[in-house]
Amino acid sequence: MTGDNAFAELIHEYVGECLPLAEQAADGFLDVERRWNGGLQVDDVAPRLKGLVHTVKGNSAMMGQSAAAEVAHAIEDLFATLLSDASQREPATLDLLLDGANLLIELVRNAASGKTDSARVASWAGAVRALLAGQSAPAAMATGTSSRRAAAEGAIDTVRVDFRRLDALQEIVGEAIIAQSRLRDIQRRMVAHLGFTEETAELDASINAVEKTTQKLEDAVMATRLVPLSGVFGRFARLVRDAAQSTGKQVRLDTVGGDTRLDKAIVDRLGEPLVHLITNAVVHGVEREDVRRSRGKSVEAVIRLSAASVSDGVILTISDDGGGLDADRIAERARALGLEVNSSATDAIYPLIFVPGLSTVEAVSSLAGRGVGLDVVASSLHAMGGSITVESAPGRGTRFILRVPVTLAVVRTLLFEVSDERYAIPLAHVVETVRVEDGDIHEINHRGVVLWRGELLPVVDGAALVGAGAVGGDAARKYTVVVHAGTRRRGVLVDRLLGHRSVVAKGLDPALGRTRLVSGTTIMGDGRVTCILDAQRLVDPLPAHAATALS
Amino acid sequence: MPRKRTDQPAPVATRASLLEFADAVSVTDAPEPAPVAPPLHLVTFVLDREEFGIPIGRVREVLRVGDITRVPEAPLHIRGVTSVRGRILPVVELRTRLGLPGLGEPGMRARIIVVEAHGRVLGLLVDAVNQVVNVPADAVLAPPGEVLSAQTDYVTGIGRLDSRLIILLDLDRALLLAEAA
Repeated sequence: MTGDNAFAELIHEYVGECLPLAEQAADGFLDVERRWNGGLQVDDVAPRLKGLVHTVKGNSAMMGQSAAAEVAHAIEDLFATLLSDASQREPATLDLLLDGANLLIELVRNAASGKTDSARVASWAGAVRALLAGQSAPAAMATGTSSRRAAAEGAIDTVRVDFRRLDALQEIVGEAIIAQSRLRDIQRRMVAHLGFTEETAELDASINAVEKTTQKLEDAVMATRLVPLSGVFGRFARLVRDAAQSTGKQVRLDTVGGDTRLDKAIVDRLGEPLVHLITNAVVHGVEREDVRRSRGKSVEAVIRLSAASVSDGVILTISDDGGGLDADRIAERARALGLEVNSSATDAIYPLIFVPGLSTVEAVSSLAGRGVGLDVVASSLHAMGGSITVESAPGRGTRFILRVPVTLAVVRTLLFEVSDERYAIPLAHVVETVRVEDGDIHEINHRGVVLWRGELLPVVDGAALVGAGAVGGDAARKYTVVVHAGTRRRGVLVDRLLGHRSVVAKGLDPALGRTRLVSGTTIMGDGRVTCILDAQRLVDPLPAHAATALS
Repeated sequence: MPRKRTDQPAPVATRASLLEFADAVSVTDAPEPAPVAPPLHLVTFVLDREEFGIPIGRVREVLRVGDITRVPEAPLHIRGVTSVRGRILPVVELRTRLGLPGLGEPGMRARIIVVEAHGRVLGLLVDAVNQVVNVPADAVLAPPGEVLSAQTDYVTGIGRLDSRLIILLDLDRALLLAEAA
């Protein structure tokens, strides 16, 4: 088991390292082909290309990836021949070179699964051998056409697209959604003014059709942007090894769920927070060997990184089997920073580690103590519409749980109004909306509750929550929006429900400070900006001001 | 590398031209008169009862005030966000930032001045934008020490223009402090 894990780790690392190299090589060969076709020199790029292929060859051989090593070797030979002999630079031969580069990418990418298209490798290698052996032109032509056919078949499966093009496409879909919500807005106003007529019904039907199409388009574009997390996971094996070495610990990294797919923009943004959390786990989470021994733990510590898809996104966990969080020390540090610590419950104390300036570490190490703390990790997760929580068992370990959306751009939301201000909540966090009548809201210990499906649901005044002036007072709150996040549920009292809307979420400008309640903004059909509320924050224990405002 | 005067090809050496040349040399050798600094091109605007000025080079555009959406938990000096051609622009309530009473409902003359500071684009909500003026550099007075405090070091000087006094604002300082606040 351990051996398998170690091997899987190494393979992850190999893929993480070699895939970009192979891809760069393929891009480089494309460039070489263009230049040769244009009668240009390639001297400035050739050495780097050779180096890339050579590195992939070496790593592949080391990892026992013989097919990849063999292909890389043949690419080297072929490229060398083409460099030295300009007369060989025929389209068929250049195709063969590019085909080889693409084959190498496939082999590296599939290294973890062990799936090798050996027939394709053999036919390609045979074509190269034949060519290098200086066989007659017709034979070379024949292999050339067959390899070109193979390339054409391969092209059906994969097309390399600059990610910026997908970003641009996403932008356009976003604009279409905004334009469409403007249409919907106009149609509603028409109904409000004219009542239902044949024309408004027709308009309604055609907007419905547009909405459906846009939805499909959005889903399709989103699907093209999804990449597996394994690319990021692959980087961590070395990170853990280096961090463990420099701290004199033995640490193993287990990864699960590397095939979980997320928008590339999110995967890219996850790298930094994960590096931070994993380094922390090695440097501060797990104990030194002697301590582990004295506690009767195995000398080798285990850090587990896992990812799994859930309905509204992906959950990542980073857990270690170290000493756990020290609640007393955290409380002490929090008080030293002037924070109020009223409860001794660990549920209330552990989250304090995300407060800026609070670190439980005595020594600043070169690895983890880079002046950024867990507060930065938390805010970068909030910035992408995600959240982070922590669990810990003294002596047994610590677990960080990260929730991230699958995609950044388009969020389905519920729109509502409170105190004449408009807000959106991600629909994934809305359980349902309930009309509240007078006398439905009860007060227990200065906290509002409503009876909801047989349970007592804590409620909070939406106006107090967002700090809006009380327009219309409590009587104006006509609806409860039941919000859930993590394991908590809470009702938010609002004045008006404005329906569901797909919105294009834009990040928060840093000038707006640490607004944890708001995870993003969006421009609505009428051109006004609406804040998207962070569901996690809505269900978090109430800040003092909101609680007193209700009482 | 500054070219030496002796490198200049001497013109045809008539007596007159030599004299001219000698004159020119002796003039440049004399202590240089204080350089006349270029006038300041300022966009001036009103906050409360005072007129302020910022260099025109810092102003990207001036917008009419549309809907500004308040952002919960944002710092006090942030009025909110507004949309400009599909982009979201944070709007700074410059009055609050400078210790003046906040602007209630923006009036007809209120504007948003779009500036760039610290690598970001921000909108400044002001009561009104007056005009672009040129203030001669020698008409700028140092701010009197007694009105300065740690909070007002964003005032770089007071420009005098006829009977008007224009408070020259250091945008970077004003907005940097705004972020720290």
